[in-house]
Amino acid sequence: MVRVPITGIGVIAPDAVGVDAFRALLASGGTAVHDVDRFDTTGLSAHQAALVRDFKPRDYIAPMKMRRMNGLSRFAVAAAKLAIQDCGGSLPPETGVAIGTAFGPVQTSVEYMHEYIEKGPSLAPPQLFAESVANAPGSHIAIEWGLRGFNVTITQRESSALAAAMYAATQLVKGTMSSALIGGVEEANEMLFSVLDRIGALAHDEHAGLTLGEGSAMLVANAGTRRPYGWLSGFGIARDATAPISDWGTDADRVIAAMNAALRDAELENVDAIFASANGSPRGDDVEQRAIAKRFGGIEIVKTKQIFGEYAAGGALQIVAALLALDEGRYDHVLVSSLSAGGGIVCAVLSREDA
Amino acid sequence: MRKPEPAVRIAITGAGIICSIGRNQAEVWESIVEARAGIARLTRFPNETFTTDIAAEVAMDDPLTRREARRLSRTDLLAVIAAREALAQAGDVPLERAIVSTGTSTGGLLEGEDYYTRRLAIGRRRARASRVLQQPTSGPSDAVARLCGLGGGAVSNATACASAGAAIGMAADYLRAGHADVALAGGSDALCRLTYSGFNVLQAVDPEPCSPFGATRKGITLGEGAGYLVLERWDDAIARGATILAELTGYGASCDAHHPTAPAEDGRGAEAAMRGALAEARIASVDYVNAHGTGTLLNDSAETKAIIAALGTDVPVSSSKSYFGHTLGASGAVEAVVTVLALQHQIAPPTLRLHASADDCPLDYIPHAPRAMRMTDVLSNTFGFGGSNVSLAFRRV
Repeated sequence: MVRVPITGIGVIAPDAVGVDAFRALLASGGTAVHDVDRFDTTGLSAHQAALVRDFKPRDYIAPMKMRRMNGLSRFAVAAAKLAIQDCGGSLPPETGVAIGTAFGPVQTSVEYMHEYIEKGPSLAPPQLFAESVANAPGSHIAIEWGLRGFNVTITQRESSALAAAMYAATQLVKGTMSSALIGGVEEANEMLFSVLDRIGALAHDEHAGLTLGEGSAMLVANAGTRRPYGWLSGFGIARDATAPISDWGTDADRVIAAMNAALRDAELENVDAIFASANGSPRGDDVEQRAIAKRFGGIEIVKTKQIFGEYAAGGALQIVAALLALDEGRYDHVLVSSLSAGGGIVCAVLSREDA
Repeated sequence: MRKPEPAVRIAITGAGIICSIGRNQAEVWESIVEARAGIARLTRFPNETFTTDIAAEVAMDDPLTRREARRLSRTDLLAVIAAREALAQAGDVPLERAIVSTGTSTGGLLEGEDYYTRRLAIGRRRARASRVLQQPTSGPSDAVARLCGLGGGAVSNATACASAGAAIGMAADYLRAGHADVALAGGSDALCRLTYSGFNVLQAVDPEPCSPFGATRKGITLGEGAGYLVLERWDDAIARGATILAELTGYGASCDAHHPTAPAEDGRGAEAAMRGALAEARIASVDYVNAHGTGTLLNDSAETKAIIAALGTDVPVSSSKSYFGHTLGASGAVEAVVTVLALQHQIAPPTLRLHASADDCPLDYIPHAPRAMRMTDVLSNTFGFGGSNVSLAFRRV
């Protein structure tokens, strides 16, 4: 195997549950960014986010199991179920799981600390502690479907899901596993939103920035009967040393390095379009725009995060958008670019066909 | 997509470690040889009462400048200390395509707890959110990349106690596939309230210093620390005249798919991970296993079954956690460094405080004293919440 086929997709996205609904959202030209109605944003500067709506976990997860899962796990398990249904088959036990999440179980950690402070360290609920690890969603998925391959949760900020895809694809082409479930998950909550707002990361009327998104997307790699949506062809990583801790950098040549590395890995000289990181952060968008212009000239740039926000599904919705575009025959090869605050850069080349 | 070529050998050219028994390789190895554990009364949270009150805390001096340490979490700080030691030992490695791959389970959670407590008291508008900039578990990787000047990229994983082992394994594969030329791979975790409290509410903590594989074992001792290895393709290391400490020969990963926190009692996942590492290393046996050996009834029993199934009953096994506790997400790397040191010195660390044999743990766990013995191929295991299992194989050079 030199390219990894994606044969199933499951999506729990802002304003779109299911891959068909997500496809329609992308085609509509609309946005899933709305005023926040789930928690109080009074006194904060930003008031909008891309939140999952009309999602009933009990439609996907048995009540007893659901009670043992936090919101993050519920998103991920539901998306995994949809992906496995979508691939038209079942997953063998020798299936690996690689999930990306930027912030993981923030809400659960907050709830645990609340119990800790209210009741004391010895009386916090064990169930909350079990769900306080970032790999709880991956664990539930493995248990539910008996998946005994690798099981890793990647936490590389905005690039988490793409980095998870890189890990899984590497294992598949290496031959240690025959199939994998790859994806991402993120949950918006008051703590995360307010902290991002207070450090000036979020967009509002007087300030450019990103919009917080949530949800989960899972991809089945090399299993099932469905014709592949697309193929993972290559990956590249690099780092921009000019980036401070919580912002993007300015060195376009480092972004180009990651892009070129992905192209080399895919054995391609060029692509038809860039699915850009473009999330509204002034420095991030600027350095990426300059890199694309310098390396690719006037190539088509597809921006998706104004639809579903940044961090949505750990970055996996960006990958899904690219796969759906390939599936619709719009391109032969695309590059998915993800830039993280702090300087990390992960790029992937996705292709419409096998090599 | 380039495949990680199995023929590409992986050299370890640097190692760094900080834990409760030492702030660097020399101190840690001295403690091991002198059978001196680093477990004492918990001091980190003096105003809080837990069910147990011991831990393996790191005593740190201030090796970073104020400017460097600014906005670093304790987990970041531990990572940078260990990473710097590893890089210093590796010498003149090319940094432009050097990546960092880190495993951690808590990241900046300790600082997040302080923020949350303060915020409860004074409200979200007044609590300084900049204090949680390093709360995400990507923090240590980013800190190491920034302060060590690595240009190749940063990858982080938070796979509970298997995190650092996974970080090392994936870094090796990325080198084999040509995604990087050098990898600084390891893990870091700082002790925090949520962790200390959480393992206690799960009733998984021994009120006394842990006794892995022993008849009286009652659970883990919580610790903290960091460990990093510098990995390079073998031919690159030779070409630049590097001193090779050991070879990383195999990486096996699996999942129990059994329970969110408890291991499968038959050890099937652990066995699969070990078999994966052995297969990649192209070996059928090893001379020593550095066990996950947490001190819980379930892990030690399951891991013993797994070792017997994969390797038989003759291989010596020991738990380094008897020295410095369970360093959680960092354990795979901290113990990998100990394993590399053991190979270099040809001395296997013992399992401390193994006073009475357990019926369900019949192997040779090297009780009490370090043992000089010939070791060529060894395994190091780490298993985590969620049933994630990692086993790494190392070879003496």
